[in-house]
Amino acid sequence: MKKMFRAPHLMIESRFFVASVIVVGAILALWLRVWHLQIYRGDYYRRVSENNRIRKIEIPAPRGVLFDAYGKTILGNTPSSDLVITPQYMKDKDKTFDVLAQLLHRPRQTYDRKYKQARSQPRFMPITLQRNLTQHEISIIESNRLFLPGVEVRTTARREYDLDVSPHMLGYLGEVNPSLLKQLNAKNRGNPYNIGDLVGKQGLEARLESYLRGKRGYKLIQVDAFGRASDTQRDDWQLPAVGAQAGANVELTLDLELQKAVTRAFSGKNGAVIVMDPRSGAVLALTSQPAWDPYIYQKGMTHEEFRALSLDPLHPFLDKTTGGEYPPGSTYKAVVALAALQEKVVNAGSSYFCNGSFSLGNQTFGCHKKEGHGYVNLRTALMQSCDVYFYHIGIDLGVDRIAKYAKALGLGSKLGFNLNMERPGLVPTSAWKLAVHKEPWATGETPPISIGQGYNLTTPLQMASLYAALGTKGQIWKPFLVRRISNSFGQVIEERQPQLLRTTDAISPENYTLVRRGLEAVVNDEEGTGKKAKVEGITVAGKTGSVQVVNLKKNKNQSDVSVLWKEHAMFASFAPSENPEVVVAVISEHDDTGGGGASAAPVAGKILNAYFELKKKRAFVALGASVPNQPASDPAAPKPVKTKLNQPKKRAERPVMNRGAAYE
Amino acid sequence: MSEPREIQAHQPVIINEPVLLVPGQEIREPTLIWSKVIIFVMLALITMGMINLYSAAMGTSLFWSQLKNLFIALTSFAVCAWLIPPRHYNTYAYWFFGFVCFLLILVEVIGGISMGAQRWLKVGPIMFQPSELAKIAVAMVVAKFFHTSRLARPYTLQDLAPLATIIGVAFLLIFAQPDFGTAGVCALIAACQLGFIRINAKSVGIVAATVLVLLVIAWFFVLHDYQKLRVLNLINPDMDRSGTGYNALQSFIAIGSGKFLGKGFLEGTQTQLQFLPARHTDFIFSVFAEEHGFLGATILFGLFITLIYMGLAIAKQGKDIFSALLAVGMTSIIFVSFMINTAMVLGLFPVVGVPLPFFSYGGTAMIMFCTSLGILVAIERESLDLFRKTSSMNMGGSAVKKPA
Repeated sequence: MKKMFRAPHLMIESRFFVASVIVVGAILALWLRVWHLQIYRGDYYRRVSENNRIRKIEIPAPRGVLFDAYGKTILGNTPSSDLVITPQYMKDKDKTFDVLAQLLHRPRQTYDRKYKQARSQPRFMPITLQRNLTQHEISIIESNRLFLPGVEVRTTARREYDLDVSPHMLGYLGEVNPSLLKQLNAKNRGNPYNIGDLVGKQGLEARLESYLRGKRGYKLIQVDAFGRASDTQRDDWQLPAVGAQAGANVELTLDLELQKAVTRAFSGKNGAVIVMDPRSGAVLALTSQPAWDPYIYQKGMTHEEFRALSLDPLHPFLDKTTGGEYPPGSTYKAVVALAALQEKVVNAGSSYFCNGSFSLGNQTFGCHKKEGHGYVNLRTALMQSCDVYFYHIGIDLGVDRIAKYAKALGLGSKLGFNLNMERPGLVPTSAWKLAVHKEPWATGETPPISIGQGYNLTTPLQMASLYAALGTKGQIWKPFLVRRISNSFGQVIEERQPQLLRTTDAISPENYTLVRRGLEAVVNDEEGTGKKAKVEGITVAGKTGSVQVVNLKKNKNQSDVSVLWKEHAMFASFAPSENPEVVVAVISEHDDTGGGGASAAPVAGKILNAYFELKKKRAFVALGASVPNQPASDPAAPKPVKTKLNQPKKRAERPVMNRGAAYE
Repeated sequence: MSEPREIQAHQPVIINEPVLLVPGQEIREPTLIWSKVIIFVMLALITMGMINLYSAAMGTSLFWSQLKNLFIALTSFAVCAWLIPPRHYNTYAYWFFGFVCFLLILVEVIGGISMGAQRWLKVGPIMFQPSELAKIAVAMVVAKFFHTSRLARPYTLQDLAPLATIIGVAFLLIFAQPDFGTAGVCALIAACQLGFIRINAKSVGIVAATVLVLLVIAWFFVLHDYQKLRVLNLINPDMDRSGTGYNALQSFIAIGSGKFLGKGFLEGTQTQLQFLPARHTDFIFSVFAEEHGFLGATILFGLFITLIYMGLAIAKQGKDIFSALLAVGMTSIIFVSFMINTAMVLGLFPVVGVPLPFFSYGGTAMIMFCTSLGILVAIERESLDLFRKTSSMNMGGSAVKKPA
């Protein structure tokens, strides 16, 4: 046999075998390693490689829009640019934040704080560092993208507020804080919130949060190693996407044009105004002053701004329409009058003599008119707001009988408006006094009660509801603001019907009429205290009220006291008085132009005037709208009168459909 | 240089057995079994390598420039396999080594710098890395040394001192570039060749101990920080995910995500989206494994194992010590490069710049690998005495003018 190994003895032949074994062994080891990576851990690495290349981009859902009763936008959306960072793609956190802080002239801590808040969420989820970038800031970021891995500018929708609408009612959006996030996500498993998402924090934004927020979509994009989106034109790299679902649109009962009129009429005053439809409880306009700039939350409120607002003695954060409790003052006299008539303490003709004061034991209660009103009956007592008359009937009635009627008319308890911490107000009774103050009722406490002072507390909303009940002979409707909620496709999800809470039948209609006559006289009589609320061609019924804030000596010159000690001016009214369709309650806090007649009544007058002007205008437009394209001279044009009745319904439906299309 | 004590005269073994020229009788040519396999495997590897490089290059000109390099490399392969008998390497081994050392010094003086190391030599439009040539030069010098200084007894450290000095020069010159990878490969090639030599056990022990001590010294005094980090990353690739560990991690992801069949040609997301660093050079195996999966990797391993086994077979039937040792050296160039590169990519070895034969982009490396296979083929042809035949058939030029 031929010897295979021919080289001389210097080399060791057996080493070839050893070498083969080493080679095979070494390559086998490598092969096993490949097996380990590709087969044993293949699924894991495939997943990691997918995570490497695929980035999930969330498409935020546009928040639902609020419309007024006539399809006008009250609260809409406008695009804004946010600075977001995706931790997964961030190379060096400290460096990135330093660069950002330098570029945008912001303290680095703000970014650190936002980043820290989002620690618990997965690293691929973007964190919003700053909202509402200016064009200049956007261009700075974009031109430095190379040094800022993981940083992007994203366009999102921002709320666009109508400054005439009370921000208390609309509420504001704030970033969801971690504890709320946990709470919300426990309820919304299918549609969770992320850190940095905006949620409604007050008003309708908070109450309708679940309707307004919509459902965000996402799309997957492929990125390269530098975080740049790569082309996905190749079919096999097509990635799924799910579109965002816009939030539901809400149609309110609010009338934006009337609201603007209210804001105008009430400008410069503090307090609250409510305009309601007494036939349904639909709130047509409301305002609470002072308020805040709704954009301040979007800009990011500074500590100074927040301090200034929260320490303001006029409480700008308080929604005074539902949360402000005021002694009703003379507006309460209508309740006392009704109670006295129903309890037959007085009748329409019985009169008392007012000499300017009323004595009870050793106490003396003054009338607001020092000289006295002389002989007053029910009508003149209401018209001139004679305190002495009501002291008399109040004493005759006693506190509990007044309270019975006050409660029957809806005072002293919540109406279920369900917006911004509605307060119940207070109707004092002897039992209440005993329970709370551990003292029996003293007769000397009744006269202030009967002119709406003392322990009495009502909210502006209750005041409006009370006068609505007076106008409609005892119907108490649940006040409401949301008429219809329709999803982004225009389908109506929810339609709210007016809800009659009760009809106060403890009082006979004749007595309502008697009191209404008195209230008409307040506005329409030459001597009436509320004659500044008069509206041409309409009979307005109303009652003024001036409430002492501190127990000043009666008739002390109001201009001498500090602003916060000045009287609240009030006016509550309904019109037209025979068949009321609008009720207005105005409370002007610490008004320096005078009492209810001088400062609140003109506001109510302007609002009522605006209401009837608008009504006239709309009737005219509805008339004209039925012949939009017909030349006026065409004799064959159909008479518009026929379609007039159908018009409002059509108008309500059309905008809903359009809205759906606009947000798809 | 001190001469070894017992020198045996150089006696080339001339074998005249296989070819008998009898008129009228068929000439039975000895067949090149191993070389045919080598050529087949090499072409297979080159084809796979080029296809893979096309993917890794992602439409850049790298593929086309490598195609040019390949042309030169295949020419070099053919010239070495058919035109230059290995005995000429024997004759000019020291000269060649000296020339390479001269080039290495030239690199130090006028070389081009890339990636922080001075490795390139530019001659007109041609750029090449002399350190790649040094691999072949070292193998030749080792073979030549044992061919000329033969001992009946096992070699001792003293006997090997001249060789160690010569190789040490080349090693240090490459190490100074700095190109630790190539320097290490050179040393390992020499070590592989020495593995077939009978060496005094005591001397082996001393050398092993010295190497260990040198490694410790190197760790503390010679190695750059980035080199140390590469070693530490081996132990824990998660240590520095975005920095030095990034390469290794992305390589694992690329290889692992290939799974059994791979993502397909041009479909490797790690590669095409540039997550994988050094895609066309050091980490080319990851590209291949990602796109062709475990199956592709297995085929690749099989081809390399065949190639290495063929090389060993050729070495085993080498005509003389020089040829046998040179064949071992050529085989170990392929083996060591392949082992270090794949081990590095698979996270079993620190990241060093060692190319994967026939796959990694690089002109000089491609030429060098093809040349070493060409030399292997030449050695087999020499062992079958085919060079004399070709010379008689008037095929060659100067290479065959001087019969031994």
